[in-house]
Parts: sequence; structure tokens; C-alpha cells
Amino acid sequence: MRTMQPSVTIGSYTWAQDRLPSDEFELRLGDVHAAIERNSWPAVLVYGDVRDHGALAYLSNFIPRVRWGMALLPRSGDPRLLCAMSTRDLPAMRGLTWIADVRSGMGPEWTKAFDPWFEQLKLDRPVELGTLGFDLMAPVLQQAVRHSLGEHFTLRRADDILAIPPQRKRPRELTMMRASCQLVETAADRFVESWRNNGEPETAALDAERLARSLAAQDVRTLISLDGGRRLIPYAGRFEKIAGSLVGYLAVKLAGYWADLFVTVEQRPSAALRHAAGALDAVIAAVKPGARAGDLFATAAEALGPYSLHPVLNGRVGHSIGLSLDEPPHLCAASQTELVENGVYALQVGIAEAEPGNVIVSAIVRNTPSGAEVLVRSPA
Amino acid sequence: MGMGTDMDMGMDQRVVAKKNVRLSAAAKYLANNSRDGLIAASNGLNNFLESNAVYVLSGVRPMGESAVVVDRDGRSTLIVTPAWDAERAASLSWTDHTVATDDLAAELASAVADYHIAVPRSLSVGLSLLGSGVVARIEAALGVLPQAADELARDLARIRTAEELKAAEHATWIAERGYEHLLECARPGMREYELAAELYCFSKKLGAEDNFLLMSASQHNLAVRAAGERILDVGDIILSEITPCYRGQFAQICRTTAIGEPRPVVRDKYAILQDAMRAGLEAGRAGTTVAEVTRAINGVITEAGYGDYCRPPYMRVRGHGLGITSDRPGDIVDSNERVLENGMVFVMHPNQYIPESGYLMCGEPVVVTDQGCRALSAQLAQLDVIPV
Repeated sequence: MRTMQPSVTIGSYTWAQDRLPSDEFELRLGDVHAAIERNSWPAVLVYGDVRDHGALAYLSNFIPRVRWGMALLPRSGDPRLLCAMSTRDLPAMRGLTWIADVRSGMGPEWTKAFDPWFEQLKLDRPVELGTLGFDLMAPVLQQAVRHSLGEHFTLRRADDILAIPPQRKRPRELTMMRASCQLVETAADRFVESWRNNGEPETAALDAERLARSLAAQDVRTLISLDGGRRLIPYAGRFEKIAGSLVGYLAVKLAGYWADLFVTVEQRPSAALRHAAGALDAVIAAVKPGARAGDLFATAAEALGPYSLHPVLNGRVGHSIGLSLDEPPHLCAASQTELVENGVYALQVGIAEAEPGNVIVSAIVRNTPSGAEVLVRSPA
Repeated sequence: MGMGTDMDMGMDQRVVAKKNVRLSAAAKYLANNSRDGLIAASNGLNNFLESNAVYVLSGVRPMGESAVVVDRDGRSTLIVTPAWDAERAASLSWTDHTVATDDLAAELASAVADYHIAVPRSLSVGLSLLGSGVVARIEAALGVLPQAADELARDLARIRTAEELKAAEHATWIAERGYEHLLECARPGMREYELAAELYCFSKKLGAEDNFLLMSASQHNLAVRAAGERILDVGDIILSEITPCYRGQFAQICRTTAIGEPRPVVRDKYAILQDAMRAGLEAGRAGTTVAEVTRAINGVITEAGYGDYCRPPYMRVRGHGLGITSDRPGDIVDSNERVLENGMVFVMHPNQYIPESGYLMCGEPVVVTDQGCRALSAQLAQLDVIPV
């Protein structure tokens, strides 16, 4: 879900070495090094910004709080990280990653920060460097990188040949995802409890946010509806009492990993809510290794009939989730992508313009050989 | 809560007031410079140190990549992503039309065609901040990119309107209430992120739509940073940079708080920062340069014997502009020769690392006047103590 991006993420970030020790990143780098060998690249450059940083976080554990970060992962030698923070902030930034060589990407000399690094990679002929995430990079920054590379290197987009982060979650990632799901469940319960106590969707969302942040969430996103679930909006600061049902959305990020839930609460569960819950059950039941994303969409669409999918879901009934709130594959009609074992997916089903109202429900599941393991589901 | 009534201006009044100022100014600029149109884009990242051109021209804080198209006659269209954000954007925008889409490039091409804008005779703001993938799609849709004029939005909005100044004052009021809340809540044994959660959510409850909040503690700080897992302790100095945003106006206060009575040297050194702040406020008259203000601040700190510390990493800047409307006058540094103008708003903060005390923070949002900079905060920073 697209939500309002805050100017800075305020929660607790660190490199949790007890849960993700350095050998975890050696294992994660395996695919990158294989691609480096196959393509005879001397290195891969990985870019991420404050909103989209899945590849950068997967490989370095570094998550930009503001602006951007970029890692240089060489075939041999030590990796390096450039972050758009001042030199004053570098000691704190060094605590966020296993990469020892962290430099500032701010100040008048920032465009030259990679010069000595590239110098060491030069050969007597032009060579390619692989890139990940460069589609996100602003043109002005790309120009600076290209200037720094000079004629010795050309950039080769590697996003299509290197799926980073992979759809299949690693064992330690599954542990992190379970913790995130537990937190979002706790916060969603508070969302509902607060709503039942005061009838104010924004107060309920804020109560849920406060609880999640107090339990070490790094980031919290909420959307609420003031019109019975017809549309969702970000924080508006109105704190109005609203009659009828509560429809909202809550996402929390814990130790780098996201979990999210839609929340629909009615005084008495309507036929539409039961219908949506049934459609969600059908999608959950269809999850298995090898299931095609498009088939899951078709399953949901059939189960939803005669209702149409809620527009806030953008023509999808879910997607992978992890270091990004919205990872591929997207469960949409045209997708032929197969779901993989130990993939973690947010499954989302909603109905628009039903009588008596609109509903959206969701779950997060792990894909196992015996089907979906539900990690968390919208509160009843 | 006394400012609530003042800020309850109806949307229609605000729409008319802002449309007259920002969109009209943009159209006038285009006409004066024989340009067909303007494409002003935002990446939706809401950087508090930058101007958000879409917000400046539409009044809408976008969730995703977005753009405003303006022609020289003043006709305007806001295009936002995602598609489901249509009604919110339309209800807030003062452009003539609002379109919500999941394909920004295609809708941009459509709006440009509707207004018969010749792209080679047009300007752009903010395209350089979008991801290169999005920019490539826009270039393909338009055939060519307009000439970049990335300073335009921040220049058009460099002077706060009366309404924007009121919003900045209200944001300051929220920041000060937030700091009072910090003084009430902070206690030994609490984790930094727990305190940050309290402060952040408290400011949202008061109406802040965002908050660039840095808050950390140490027995000897090197700088302020985002809250972590550290447990607050007696003898800690809490640094807080509280920056709520209210109706598009960020306002920042910088505060220093001791848990338990601090050593006398901390009070002595903090007084240097307060003197530097007063010197900066006095120097910041309309017509002076940012460099002169910076030198006034640095002069006090140098006179106290810490001239060698008036550089990174012992400090960063002596203040800066505040987005998302306009980040003019830019960073408060001695190389910035920009002339201060009446009505400019920025944060002035002589925050400083001093070896004997560690990093200390002291800062206020200010508005430039003929008599100097006027702090928007009711209470200038002082070294506060949480009794234990």
C-alpha cells in the first residue's frame, strides 16, 4: 500500500547482530558474487532511498532514514557504503551496517567520494559494473556517479537478472517476519479496542501507532476511512467521531521487516464482511509452492462475485512483503509468476460499494509445502 | 490550544488566497519569460529540507510521485499517484483540475496536450529529484524533457504568506507543547525510542501531519541522532530536535535537557550557545546576508575559545531553511551570500560540540524582520533539568 512518506523514520534502527550476524550477509551475498563471476564485473553498485531500499537493506542491513545510501560490493576486497548524511552523523550510521567503510555522501566533495574506490577497480580496458536499484536514483545523482566512473566503467542494470531481495525468505528472515506479524497483530488489536471505546478512527489509528512505536517499531503507517470504507486517507488531524464501521490500514516495520493488516470492524458483521472473509479464505487455501499469482487473483475474483474488488487494492489481491512493504510478485490478473516455498505474502481482499458498506480484510502467510501458514490475519 | 480558532480558516478562503499567490506567480513568470508551461514534480518523499513544488503549487502533500502542470494563462492540473488518492487530492488542491493515476507519465502527456504546451518551450521543477526510471518514462511520453528550473518553486515561495506564517507559528506551538510533554515523560529507565514514540504521537494528536524528530541521549553527546534502544540514565543529556509540520509548514526547536542536575560546566557552556543565539537573532535583519548572520553566531563561539570547533563534525550548519514550502534562505553557513528578506522563515541553531560538555542544542524557528530575526517560539531554549 502506498502511504504518506514521513520526513524521517524516527524508530529504533540498529544492526541486530544477535539475530542477523555477519555470516547471514555472507550467505546473502552469494547470489551477487555468482552474478559478478558470470558477468566478469569487478563489482556491483546497490542503491536505495528512504522509501525503497529492499536490495540495499538485504545486502548491507543499511536503511536510509532520510535521502539515500549506496553500497559498492566488489568481487574482491572490502565493500563500501556511501550515505547521504553529514560527517557528524557517520558514527551513528556505522552502527546500522556490517560494512566497515562508511562514508558521507554530503558536502561539497560528495561527488568524489567513490573516486578512490573506482580507482582500485580500473583495468586497462572499459569494464561493466552491475547495478541494483538505479531506477530509483535521481538523474542528478546518476550523473555524478557516471562522472566519477569516467570512461573506465559502464553501468549494467542487474535488477532483471538478480532478484534482490529474493522472493524466498531465508530462515532468519522468517524469524524477523514472525516478530513483525506479532507486532502488527498487537497494534491492530489496539486499533480496534480504541475504536470501540471512542468511535474516532484517527484516535484509534494513533493509539495503535503509539503502541507499536513503544514496542520498538521503526516505522508505522496508517490509513483510515471517514466514509465507511469507500476511500482511505492518510492522517488528516481531524479526530472526528464517525458512525458506522471502522475501515483502516496499519503497517509496522520492526528490525527492517514490514507487516501490514487491513482492519474492518462492524457493529454486527455484515454479509459483505463475511463474503470478503470467505474470499480471503479461498485465496489462503490456494497458496502453495508453484501456485501462479494470476490464479490466486482469479480465485479471489470468483469468490468475491458479484462484488468488485475494492479500488484501493489497485487490481491486486496481494504481494510479497518483507524488507519492502510492497515486493514483487504482485497478485494481479496478468501475473504468471509462481509463488515459492518460504515466500511470505500479504493477501488482501476488499469489496467496494456493497450494502451496507465497504470492507477490506487481509492476512500474511508463509508458503509451505502443505499450504499457507497464516502468520497474522485481520482482527475479527 | 489558543491558536485553534485562528487556524480554522475555511478551505475556500485558503484556496483563493494561495491560488492568487503561487499559481499566479508561476503563470506570470512563464509569461514574462516567454515560456509555454511549467511541469512541477514531486517524488513524494517530503524531505523537510527541500521545497516540494507540488505542494507549493497545489496545496496537496502527495503520497507518491506527482506533478502540477501550469500554462502561461494560469490554467493548472494536479496529477497524483496512486489512483485511489483522487478524492483527497481534489478536495485539497487549488488547481483547476485534479487527476489521480497510476501512470504519471501518460497523464502528464495528456495534460500537456490539453493545454497545447510546447515542451521545448517549457520549464520543469523537481524532475531531477524523481527516480531515473520515472524520468525516463516521462521523457518517452513527452518526447523531450522541459528545461530544468529547479530553483523556481523555492524562489516563488521564499516569503511566507500571512497564512503560512500563522501555520508556522502553530507548528512552533506544537513543538513547544511537545517539548513540555518530553519534560513530563522522560525518566531514567525509559528507552529512547519509547520517549520518541510519546513525543511523536503527542504532536500528531495536536495536529502535526509530520515531525522530523531526532532525539537521543548520552552522558557525553557527539551529535544528535535518531532515537535508539539506549536506556535513559541519571546524568544523561537529552538532545532533541523537534520539527512538527502543520499545513505544510515545518518549524523546528532544538533543546537540551539534563536528567538530574548537570555539572556546572554544562551550564557554563550552554550559556555560550544562548549568547550566540541572541547574536544571531540581532544580526538577522532584512537586507543582511546569511553569511553575516553566521559570522555573528560563530563570533560568539570563537570568542569563548571554540573557534576551531565551528566546523564539521563538531557542528553542521547554524540553521537552515524549512521545507516543504520553500527552503530559502538555505543553509546558515558563512559561504551563503543570500540576502535575507522580510518574511523568510528558517531555523537558527547554534548547536555545538564543546569538549567539556559534549554536543549541546539551542535553536528556534525565526522570521526575518527589519529589526532582526523574531523567534516564533514563546520561550527561547534554556538548559532544562528533569529532577531525579
